[in-house]
Amino acid sequence: MRIKAKLKDGVTTAKVMAKHPMMSYDEAKKKKKEANFITHITAKVGDEVVYDASTSQFLSKNPYIKFAFKGENKGKELVITWVDLSGKSKTGKKKIK
Amino acid sequence: MERRKFLGLGVALFAASVVPASLMAEDFRKSKPNAWTTKNPADKKGESLDGVNAAIKELFGTDKVEVGNVKLKAPDIAENGAVIPVTVKSDKATKIAIFQSANPEALVAVFDVPKNGIPEYSMRIKMSQTGTVVAVAQIDGKLYKAEKVVKVTIGGCGG
Repeated sequence: MRIKAKLKDGVTTAKVMAKHPMMSYDEAKKKKKEANFITHITAKVGDEVVYDASTSQFLSKNPYIKFAFKGENKGKELVITWVDLSGKSKTGKKKIK
Repeated sequence: MERRKFLGLGVALFAASVVPASLMAEDFRKSKPNAWTTKNPADKKGESLDGVNAAIKELFGTDKVEVGNVKLKAPDIAENGAVIPVTVKSDKATKIAIFQSANPEALVAVFDVPKNGIPEYSMRIKMSQTGTVVAVAQIDGKLYKAEKVVKVTIGGCGG
């Protein structure tokens, strides 16, 4: 996944592009494949959760998300984790600039 | 000959995955499973908000929603129904949910706003046909919403 995390005036703005086919049930039926899509995305800085999204089959393929959070987090690591319907999980990290 | 057996069993036990639940915000897919399967009426071509309202009730426990306090940005016309940029903003919201009337099911995403989180989110969604995107925010236990009709020229759900 691609992560951008910029801190300005006490607010970190994060842009994340996860790689995932996000195959909906209808798409899966047509392609004779298993439906699979990201169902939960969280972002943390240390122990603190800064973003939490429960998601569906209706996010676009290779989901792009943008969010922001407060805090003096310069140099700290932003950790993004997603889980999909099949139970697979992926984590990405980026230092907040 | 002496054989030393290093009992690595203790280590193997700790290898089992443990997810620290200490600061996990709510996973609405687990806590509100019915909200995710609430359907939009298939025969109404995206024009009915019945499915959206039913999903709101499943998720929040009530369908009493006032218009206001929520800013929803989405294109008037989506050239590509598979990639529709949506931004929602609602100061003071603790939860924000996105619904639409176009797809087989109504609920798209739920954001749980953490302590230092800023309730403004952008994402890209799919819509299989023209329909209404509805953003609902929970502020102080009350629900508020904003709606936007998005015209879809080429359906985005593999159609």
